[in-house]
Amino acid sequence: MLLRMRGVSKSFGQHRALDRVDLDLARGEVVVVLGPSGSGKSTLCRCINRLETVDAGSIELDGEPLPQEGKDLARLRSQVGMVFQSFNLFAHMSALDNVTLGPIKVRRLGREQAQRRAMDLLERVGVADQARKYPAQLSGGQQQRVAIARALAMDPKLMLFDEPTSALDPEMINEVLAVMVELAASGMTMLVVTHEMGFARKAAHRVVFMDAGRVVEEATPQAFFTAARTERAQDFLAKILTH
Amino acid sequence: MSREPDVLFDVLGPRGRQRTRIATVVVVLVLAALLWLALRQFAVNGQLDGAKWQPFTSPPILRFLLVGLGGTLQATVVSALLAFPLGAALALLRLARSAPLRWPAAAYVELFRALPVLLLIYVFLLVLPQLGVRLPLFWQLVIPIVMSGSASAAEIFRAGVLSLERGQSEAGYSLGLSYWQTMRLIVLPQVLRQLLPVLVSQLITLLKETTLGYVVSFPELLHNGQTLGEYTQTLIQAYLVVALVFVLTNAGLSQLAVGIDRRLGTRGRRAPGSAGSASGQQRPGLQVRLDA
Repeated sequence: MLLRMRGVSKSFGQHRALDRVDLDLARGEVVVVLGPSGSGKSTLCRCINRLETVDAGSIELDGEPLPQEGKDLARLRSQVGMVFQSFNLFAHMSALDNVTLGPIKVRRLGREQAQRRAMDLLERVGVADQARKYPAQLSGGQQQRVAIARALAMDPKLMLFDEPTSALDPEMINEVLAVMVELAASGMTMLVVTHEMGFARKAAHRVVFMDAGRVVEEATPQAFFTAARTERAQDFLAKILTH
Repeated sequence: MSREPDVLFDVLGPRGRQRTRIATVVVVLVLAALLWLALRQFAVNGQLDGAKWQPFTSPPILRFLLVGLGGTLQATVVSALLAFPLGAALALLRLARSAPLRWPAAAYVELFRALPVLLLIYVFLLVLPQLGVRLPLFWQLVIPIVMSGSASAAEIFRAGVLSLERGQSEAGYSLGLSYWQTMRLIVLPQVLRQLLPVLVSQLITLLKETTLGYVVSFPELLHNGQTLGEYTQTLIQAYLVVALVFVLTNAGLSQLAVGIDRRLGTRGRRAPGSAGSASGQQRPGLQVRLDA
């Protein structure tokens, strides 16, 4: 198992965001996390690279428990790519500099080599022609694709997507999803929190359904969308599919 | 900041425009009247006589004032070069996660932000010499300004760092950058850009604080102006000239900031659509929309 979570709990004050969550991800597996808002999906995502600390339970990546702090934690984070809902591109840097920053400052790669690699990645996500532009000059879809390239530049073992298309205008969602589908097909291990059922059907090996901080159901996309076992999941699906 | 479109006010309607026109005329008339009264008062007392202004055309006197301006600028630049980086460092320490770093920084900031610069100058001028420490005039002025200025700057930087979206530093950490790398490479450059107008105000404050140089007899602009005015018996004229030079210098500083802001262009502007844009946090019902 690349990722192994056991009994992970996390509370914000009185609110129990995660409640004894167990989750495994095999290498190369693509898992989509579904659930109503406030069900703990994002918190789950953020706990894996320790942007949130957990109150109880264990998280292991590649057999190693998550480091608590310092250099070890930074090293772990450099191996886990994170794509945020609001892109979070560094606003004072060009798209190219956004992608080369990690390799240069963390991996100590030479500038030229980092830039060549970054251009390849920007090409791969289809925004190579925007490399010199600043985030403010790019559309949301372009920004998010640069953000994916930035994460990929670190050669992560695992990619986390925290609602990557939720802040996008509808016409830009597909260009981001297309990149993610390609990434999934290339064998990247991915944990994707999303509301995009299309992506789940098309690219996920497994769907995890969360409610009130718990993993309520796990199934293949096929099984989940056609015959969800739990009432909560059926409810959720009925709500989003009847629109 | 200076080129933002009007966001504070609604565009005026016809009645509003009418009122604005009337108010403009009234204000201009009042100001003109006040100016006329002031000038007349000066004229009646003979302060506008050529003889009173004559000294300010003679090269030695101008040179003396220029030396004063030089002293002012030198003290300001050195104070700023020390106070701003020190302030930034203090802010980061105060924001650090470990308490042993946080507490001393907080104590320093709270203490020196509260003390008047004049009091600090007295310490260097009157107290330290008794203990056998006598610094050069320049440093008797600059060190107190730096102590107080760095504390103020620290609070400005801290507010700036806190106002930057958390996502920016989170994205930095996610790449594997350390706290200090994230601050240096991601947070501070953006905060500096945002804070540019405030930092210019702070710089102007530092410049004005150098006028406390008269306490330690450091030859800065106001001190030299005063000496000159007393010597040539043209105190009013001397102060007016000094005031004009201060206004021009500070206008120059503001202009410099506008220039820097323009040069930086779109760099560091907040990206549209980021900042957790309102568009569709929840988007149920959007189904298969993948091409291919």
